[in-house]
Amino acid sequence: MDAFYASIEIRDDPSLAGRPVAVGGTAEKRGVIAAASYAARTFGVRSAMSTARAQALCPGLVLIPPHFDKYTRESRRIMQVFQRYTPLVEPLSLDEAYLDVAGCERLFGSADSIGMRIKHEILRETGLVASIGVAPTKFLAKLASDMDKPDGFRVIHAEQVPALLAPLPVGRIHGIGERTAKRLERLGYRTIGDLAARSREELERELGSLGGWVHELARGIDPRRVTPRRPEKSHGMERTFERDIASREELRRHLMEFCEEVAYDLRHRGLRGRTITLKARFADFETITRSKTLDFATHLGPRIYAVARELLERVPEHPLRLLGVQVSGLEDVRAPLQQTLFGEADALAVPERDQKLERVAAGLDKLRDKYGAAAVRPASTLAQAGER
Amino acid sequence: MKVTCNRERLREALAVVNNVVPIKSPRPAVENLFFSATDGALELVGTDMEVSIRFRILGGSGVDIAETGTALVPARVASDFVRDLDCDVVVIEANGDRCSIRGGDDHCELPIIDPEEFPPIMRFESKGAFALQGGTFSKLVHRTIFAAAKEQGRYAMHGVLIELAEDAIKFVATDGRRLAITQSPLDTRSMPPRRAIVPTKGLSLFSRVVREPLANVEIQFTENQMALKARAVVLPDGEGGEPRVTEEIEAFARLIEGEFPKYTTVIPNSSENSVEAETDLLTRKLRLVANVTSAETRAVKLSFGKGELEIKARSPARGEASARLPVDFKGKPVDIAFNPDFVLDGLKNCEMTPVRLEFRDRQSPGKFKLGEDYHYVVMPITVET
Repeated sequence: MDAFYASIEIRDDPSLAGRPVAVGGTAEKRGVIAAASYAARTFGVRSAMSTARAQALCPGLVLIPPHFDKYTRESRRIMQVFQRYTPLVEPLSLDEAYLDVAGCERLFGSADSIGMRIKHEILRETGLVASIGVAPTKFLAKLASDMDKPDGFRVIHAEQVPALLAPLPVGRIHGIGERTAKRLERLGYRTIGDLAARSREELERELGSLGGWVHELARGIDPRRVTPRRPEKSHGMERTFERDIASREELRRHLMEFCEEVAYDLRHRGLRGRTITLKARFADFETITRSKTLDFATHLGPRIYAVARELLERVPEHPLRLLGVQVSGLEDVRAPLQQTLFGEADALAVPERDQKLERVAAGLDKLRDKYGAAAVRPASTLAQAGER
Repeated sequence: MKVTCNRERLREALAVVNNVVPIKSPRPAVENLFFSATDGALELVGTDMEVSIRFRILGGSGVDIAETGTALVPARVASDFVRDLDCDVVVIEANGDRCSIRGGDDHCELPIIDPEEFPPIMRFESKGAFALQGGTFSKLVHRTIFAAAKEQGRYAMHGVLIELAEDAIKFVATDGRRLAITQSPLDTRSMPPRRAIVPTKGLSLFSRVVREPLANVEIQFTENQMALKARAVVLPDGEGGEPRVTEEIEAFARLIEGEFPKYTTVIPNSSENSVEAETDLLTRKLRLVANVTSAETRAVKLSFGKGELEIKARSPARGEASARLPVDFKGKPVDIAFNPDFVLDGLKNCEMTPVRLEFRDRQSPGKFKLGEDYHYVVMPITVET
């Protein structure tokens, strides 16, 4: 999707059309830019840039606070469009996905026409503009989708690949970052064509294990398949606070909110995890983590919070700039479960209290799905006395 | 102290005692062996403060005490040196801060420390002890010890529960997912009922010191320890005469304080489904199918039909497998899934064929009969639907 968050905001407030718009936190609150409209990009505004810097570059920047609920909702609608054409959808983020449509031609027509139909359906159903690339491999499809952005549509056919890749800088190869690109340039490889001209052996000799892989990608060979649900290894949430927080009570309140949020997401994904990690960053940017592994996997907010809170006690009592919690050691809730002999008395068993909590969580999830995240939440996460 | 000793006898004694000696201890004195030469015997004592052992080689059976006394000798070096000596007779001599070990033309000198630093180790008290055949004791240990908990944090399950009551000595071990239980007749009329959790480390030491399976060992439970005394004897050469005791070994283990889980309620009494299978065949087929399971999905499904068992397993990473074998099963087709490691652990100890399995349904424990007065209960693996 093109400038996804910003495009959604512009769609919802047409008076913003054509103006430099960015979604992000305010400079006073040490915010960063999450997305910038193409008008803003002409000023040099980029995502992940501090808002202060973005506003210096673009004094007329319209800054809009993020509405993640809304973006998630739109993302779901877009993903639903993809699902109409193939079950092989591999989301990369909220607004980006690989689709494998091989074998769907009889049903929906060629890959090109499927791409076109998806682009139109997204525009019609969400009012948002997508850029689409159609190509034989993942690397080339991603490249194609970036080539005509915004509002792009590009098809790369196999026979075009060598000519198309040759003039591109090596940094465009998927997985080659700034440092590797520099290294390649030092060795005399500026363009993908320079790399493609060498034999595999030569590249392997010069670049080591990287060589074989670069050799293939430079020729447009990319064996990676579209894998619909890449198994997640961890799931977490963290936040940089508007101001450093010293109050333990306040930190615990944030922590509880994070834990509830992470637990909700885990339940939605059908996952549960065993290891809970707390991350804390002090005012001087020193960052520490503390973790603990449970005897059983969980996806319950109170259970995660109980551990996270314990871990917070092990963090020195200085003001914190950032706090986060992560659950790893994930398993599918449908994973086979070893039953235990002694129930409650056994440390390995899932405590009975959790089995009750599980039923509560299922009910709360239903309310939340229907009425939104703010509908039900633990009373102790209410920040102000007046809210209570 | 000066002692002359048959090398093989000494090597063996050192090997047994060394089993308990820690390589590194916060209390360095226990990294040593306590040698004590008295008029009648050479005694080797080792401890890691949890378990202790006292190994006496009696005079006349390859040991000759030239000069009585005590010495604290570095355990590893001394036993390794004696092991590597190539001779029949070893002379150990300790004086002040030196200990020499001599065998033939070879010898070593080891620095030693004051014997007073070694912690006091109790002696076996025969009063209140009871006797059990050594082989029976070892059998009870081997039948149960494998089922005890290995992972951290399950303190009371890190040992085997021993119960003396109702004319039996009963051993129970569990890790919360499977449980092994066995017993042997014992005249308990003159004893008060007793329950004790003995750490697995102590029990494997005890079964190692049982020298003669047919001879009795003496067992004693004190407030916080279990003690066992075993003897090695040689029979007289000619007619008549008494068997001569050559070795006496006393071993001690500190008991685990804690609440052993209430195991009686989890052992099923009656079950709808019962099946009998040839033990070796079942073992082979289980192992075969378990090859495709992985650490994350360690489960095999047993599907019972008329006269037949099908074993199936699958894991995303390794694929799937199935095997069939004839079994004696009557009743409606039913299935149940287990961790194959648990079942194989039990089958490895199975003393009879066919092995018998009983269970109510796929949610309920499976009960294997592995021998006379020997049962093994395994909780199934269930899949949430």
